[in-house]
Amino acid sequence: MSLLTSFSTKAPFFCAALLFGICLALSGQAVATPVLEANSAQPLVAVLPFENLSGAPAPLRQLREEMIKALRNQCGIAVLEEKALEDFMAAHRVRYVGGIDSELAVAFRQETGAQSVLITSFEFQDERVPLKICLTSRLVSTANPPIILWMDSVGLSGDDSPGLLGLGLIHDPAALRGKALARLASSLLETLEGRAVLPGSAGKFRPRIVFRSPVLAPGQPYVLAVLPFFNRSDRKNGGDLMALQFIKELARYEAFQLVEPGVIRQVLLRARIIMDDGLSLSDAAVLFSELRADLILSGKVLDYQESLAFSGSPVVDFSALLFEAKSREIVWASDSHNEGADGVYFYDWGKISTASDLASRMVRSVGSLIAQ
Amino acid sequence: MIIICNISHRFTLFPMEKCIVRYAIVLSYLLCLMLQGCSQPMGFYDPNMDFGSIHTVAVMPFANLTDQNKAHERVRDVFINALLASSPIYVLPPGEVARGISRTQVAESASPSVEDAQKLGATLGVDAIITGVVKEYGEVRSGTAQANVIAVSLRMMEVQTGKVVWAASASKGGINTKDRLLGGGGQPMNQVTEEAVRELVNQLFH
Repeated sequence: MSLLTSFSTKAPFFCAALLFGICLALSGQAVATPVLEANSAQPLVAVLPFENLSGAPAPLRQLREEMIKALRNQCGIAVLEEKALEDFMAAHRVRYVGGIDSELAVAFRQETGAQSVLITSFEFQDERVPLKICLTSRLVSTANPPIILWMDSVGLSGDDSPGLLGLGLIHDPAALRGKALARLASSLLETLEGRAVLPGSAGKFRPRIVFRSPVLAPGQPYVLAVLPFFNRSDRKNGGDLMALQFIKELARYEAFQLVEPGVIRQVLLRARIIMDDGLSLSDAAVLFSELRADLILSGKVLDYQESLAFSGSPVVDFSALLFEAKSREIVWASDSHNEGADGVYFYDWGKISTASDLASRMVRSVGSLIAQ
Repeated sequence: MIIICNISHRFTLFPMEKCIVRYAIVLSYLLCLMLQGCSQPMGFYDPNMDFGSIHTVAVMPFANLTDQNKAHERVRDVFINALLASSPIYVLPPGEVARGISRTQVAESASPSVEDAQKLGATLGVDAIITGVVKEYGEVRSGTAQANVIAVSLRMMEVQTGKVVWAASASKGGINTKDRLLGGGGQPMNQVTEEAVRELVNQLFH
């Protein structure tokens, strides 16, 4: 009990110190905010309104409030006040909440004192049995350029762990939401405390066809930009969802420094790059120069389908292409296709119930091969 | 009918039976050759073409003759990756090919004329252009059995001369005797596609 009490009282300060340290270490050109830093003991995190990639109405406000609560209670993080965030967003006319560009990041730091911004994308929710929820969240520093400090996703289903006589089934949407948010908060805490471990990837999720050029040197540090994938699936925002999965999995490797998607979006808009059928070499040249990236990852999503019925399983199909800046050539190409029931033979043991979870495992496998 | 007699020494064949055995061996050999010929995929190679001189190719968008609206994109993606993965040939990114088509204003990108192919090849800086047609893609049914099937045809045009130097077809999947007798859904579509594409790539580099 005393141990628990001791941990619960010290954890917030410990996390705060670590978060502050990471922000300072990673943000080379960080703009100092002496007033706020002197007054506040904890680094401030601005939690942006959630981005809805589900293609359907979702209880985003409620989810965000619960997320803030989890961050405060579980991680001991100080969250920027609602009024200050609203004023800032109104002043800068911030409508896009799926990322931040460099200018906005600096403005955040200077005007609100937030050292980092939490960006969350709501992927999917199904309130029919079995319940499902999928979220992706990332913590981005307010440096110039903004750096992804942490990123993780969660895809849960109410029947993930049915247990004995179905006692483990979750029928309450609020309980599943709480579990998902707690898992995200726990992942953030692990990263802040330096306890995060690289998850393994199962062989059944390996891409079917792989090309790797010798130009792609293993272990060499690369600045990598992941473009939104071309969506040829029936799932709305399938391309954005797949790009987020790649960013999340590749950000785990020290060799890759991922460019914040908000920065990429800003460059694509400013350079008026419209890609109809993939990235052309001239567009790639512009992006390499503007983003100062060594690699650009692009791809196509052909299927991003949730399980349609109780007994069904999700299907994910995508191809990925990696371009290298110096050679201006494809240095990696892969083709992946999996279903949630792949390799499941006994009583749904090992079955994956959400497309988000399936995509995450498939991309993890691709990421580990790229990073090798 | 071969009569084998075991009299004083082991397994002796009489002269008549020896002759029958010889005929049977020759016949079975010819039958094997005929069957092998039937199983070989249809293909064309220009005997005067030096395929070693092809270093970069552009894979054009495939034509789709099926009722599956994404079939040609799926097959093209798998083919591009398989070609990159299993050959020394570099495949131009699809986005660059699309840009080339737009710049040269090729109307029929799935089956360009000789002039269009040459113009496109010069713009993209490739040695050859590959075009393709997806003729069958999806599920077939026969009675209670069902299976996935694919049929693809490809052609390679050399940019310098505009000549077709290679053409091949492959079809995979479908309902076999086992499916008819025991039922079953056959192989998954992506697996059938990969098999067909691998066969085409193998034909190109046989």
